[in-house]
Amino acid sequence: MAQLEVKHLMKYFKTPVGPLHAVDDVSFSIDSGKTLGVVGESGCGKSTLGRAVLGLNEATGGQILFEGKDITHAKGVLSKEMKRQIQIIFQDPYSSLDARMSVQQLIAEPLTATGICKGKAAVQKRVAELMDTVGLASRYMLSYPHELDGGRRQRIGIARALAVEPKFIVCDEPVSALDVSIQAQILNLMSDLQEERGLTYIFITHNLSVVKHISDDIMVMYCGCLTEKCECDELFRAPLHPYTKGLLSAIPEPSIHVERKRNLLEGEISSPINPAPGCRFSSRCPYAGDICRERFPAPQEACPNHFVACHFVNEINGL
Amino acid sequence: MEILNIKDLKISFNTDTGVVEAVNGISLSVGEGESLGLVGETGAGKTTTALGILRLIQCPPGEFVKGEIFYKGQDILKMKDQELRDMRGAEISMIFQDPMSALNPVMTIGEQISEVILHHQKCTKEEAERQMLAMLEQVRIPAERAGEYPYQFSGGMKQRVIIAIALACHPKLLIADEPTTALDVTIQAQVLEMINALKRTNHTSMLLITHDLGVVAESCEKVAIMYAGEIVESGSVADIFDATAHPYTKGLFNSIPSISKKMDRLKPIEGMMPDPGNLPTGCKFHPRCPFASDLETCAAEEPIAYEVTPGHFVRCHRCRSWVEELKVERGVGV
Ligand SMILES: Nc1ncnc2c1ncn2[C@@H]1O[C@H](COP(=O)(O)OP(=O)(O)OP(=O)(O)O)[C@@H](O)[C@H]1O
Ligand SMILES: Nc1ncnc2c1ncn2[C@@H]1O[C@H](COP(=O)(O)OP(=O)(O)OP(=O)(O)O)[C@@H](O)[C@H]1O
Ligand code: SF4
Ligand SMILES: [Mg+2]
Ligand SMILES: [Mg+2]
Repeated sequence: MAQLEVKHLMKYFKTPVGPLHAVDDVSFSIDSGKTLGVVGESGCGKSTLGRAVLGLNEATGGQILFEGKDITHAKGVLSKEMKRQIQIIFQDPYSSLDARMSVQQLIAEPLTATGICKGKAAVQKRVAELMDTVGLASRYMLSYPHELDGGRRQRIGIARALAVEPKFIVCDEPVSALDVSIQAQILNLMSDLQEERGLTYIFITHNLSVVKHISDDIMVMYCGCLTEKCECDELFRAPLHPYTKGLLSAIPEPSIHVERKRNLLEGEISSPINPAPGCRFSSRCPYAGDICRERFPAPQEACPNHFVACHFVNEINGL
Repeated sequence: MEILNIKDLKISFNTDTGVVEAVNGISLSVGEGESLGLVGETGAGKTTTALGILRLIQCPPGEFVKGEIFYKGQDILKMKDQELRDMRGAEISMIFQDPMSALNPVMTIGEQISEVILHHQKCTKEEAERQMLAMLEQVRIPAERAGEYPYQFSGGMKQRVIIAIALACHPKLLIADEPTTALDVTIQAQVLEMINALKRTNHTSMLLITHDLGVVAESCEKVAIMYAGEIVESGSVADIFDATAHPYTKGLFNSIPSISKKMDRLKPIEGMMPDPGNLPTGCKFHPRCPFASDLETCAAEEPIAYEVTPGHFVRCHRCRSWVEELKVERGVGV
């Protein structure tokens, strides 16, 4: 059984000009101990999706099952227990960390708030353990976030998430603000923690080489919708959706010798407010036909375990 | 012609717990129409350098300890407030690292862009609005979202608004602090394309701060690598990418997850960034450097910047002997 199952999830926001479809009919599942990478354009609904799984945004429609339990609208005791088992790590822990609290206080907070650690000595001991786990030297215990660099701040964020012994962590761009060396340290730390504790990750990022390194499966989103989902290597080897193809062709490589055949995907970006029927990508898609502007393409299994939402997936790829 | 020329700039922060030497005697220059990529570890002093150029550092706790910053031959550190204000708006634009705090939460996105256009071009309201919509389109935000507030936008969309605001005044020098980190690669490619077009038509120069060496490869002619407040290596993109010399720069390249090969573990540079309030002696990189143990000079003596080939500077003791070796390797007469 999948640990997390998301079925036809929808999250709409009210705006003065109509409902904004931030997440529209997205379904997927993740097995325990695995990593699902989520990539897509900025504003396509990745954070909203992550927050919905945590219950920080109540879903407009659809269902979220965690270990078989429906947690879509979980309240009270169930919600409290869920909050413990599913945690989040943010892109810039700086804005999510209270600047007036020391490192020690920040890591102690989730421990005392959930009551899993009682008594001053026990809390202190646990904070020290957690700092050790994430590689924060104990001399930073009394430091404040603004005195630390981005890499150490992100370690605080991870320690806070781990404090309550979750099973599942939504990682919302945890390394986007870091330089490549600290990024590599944090990614190694996250892989180690996953291995030791059997953690499950949703890993949201823009960085395709990072997502390729860390993920088992990858889901590509565009304008609130799922466009493609499959096993990681397969996505990079044989992308089937025109948006994914464009995305992969635009990866900037750290070399000055790559000939770029970049597919810039010109065209209007469609608005998620009162979206037109049809495929949301049709305004930028080089293959779009009439049906694309009329009917919404539901994700279909184009090859085994490879889901694609495109009317012409077979024609484009010669399947 | 050089539009920006920084000489031996040193900026410190005097905090309760001691003096933080954030920028430690750096020199760099950017030519007209040229782009310089400034790359380096978190906390290396990149943002401080950028804010220093615009004199946007709060003093105290900040302090310009020494050095000069010439913009078109005029020392910014000696400018009067009015000159400074004129220069900031009309000549130099900055894209700040933190897009969330740069936008006004109670004004709509459209109003914020129009305001900047109105302020700098003294045109009619209608004209400003027309340009605002065109700007939004250029950064790929649907025009109908102009009436929304920042909280309704995702992080990357806010970043695109900031870029629109910075470009709206057609600056001569654009200082961009991590402008594309929050964007997906297709939008990033378009934004870089937009900036490159500006470079061609307006001869805009750019100081681009980024962690992404891929972005540097695509959009810069020159690169400077910063570590612990110093520029440890600088040169043309070809120097930095194909003749990487400093151990720190090599470490950066080795840390990047490869898009073509699967690796079990990444290879970060061992150890952590030094405490900027208590920097190591000698070469600041020596406690983390895989080559340092061979040379006791690394811990004792601060390396100077050796010019290994014309225009390629490396601050590393190994280069003292290398300079000779490299010349032999490249067939340059010693
Ligand atoms: N509180 C809100 N009110 C109204 N609209 C919102 C709200 N939060 C998000 N949105 C909208 O929902 C859409 C999805 O936003 P979300 O933050 O999930 O995007 P994202 O994929 O995480 O983007 P990024 O990569 O830039 O972080 C966007 O169009 C955004 O403007
Ligand atoms: N107002 C301040 N007071 C005290 N120290 C500061 C202040 N601003 C910056 N610093 C310190 O100066 C050093 C350089 O910071 P800076 O923000 O310039 O780094 P950066 O290279 O831009 O890093 P990043 O990649 O994380 O953005 C850091 O050690 C930082 O903690
Ligand atoms: S000077 Fe020494 S310690 Fe510094 S980078 Fe060169 S070899 Fe390494
Ligand atoms: Mg997001
Ligand atoms: Mg910075």
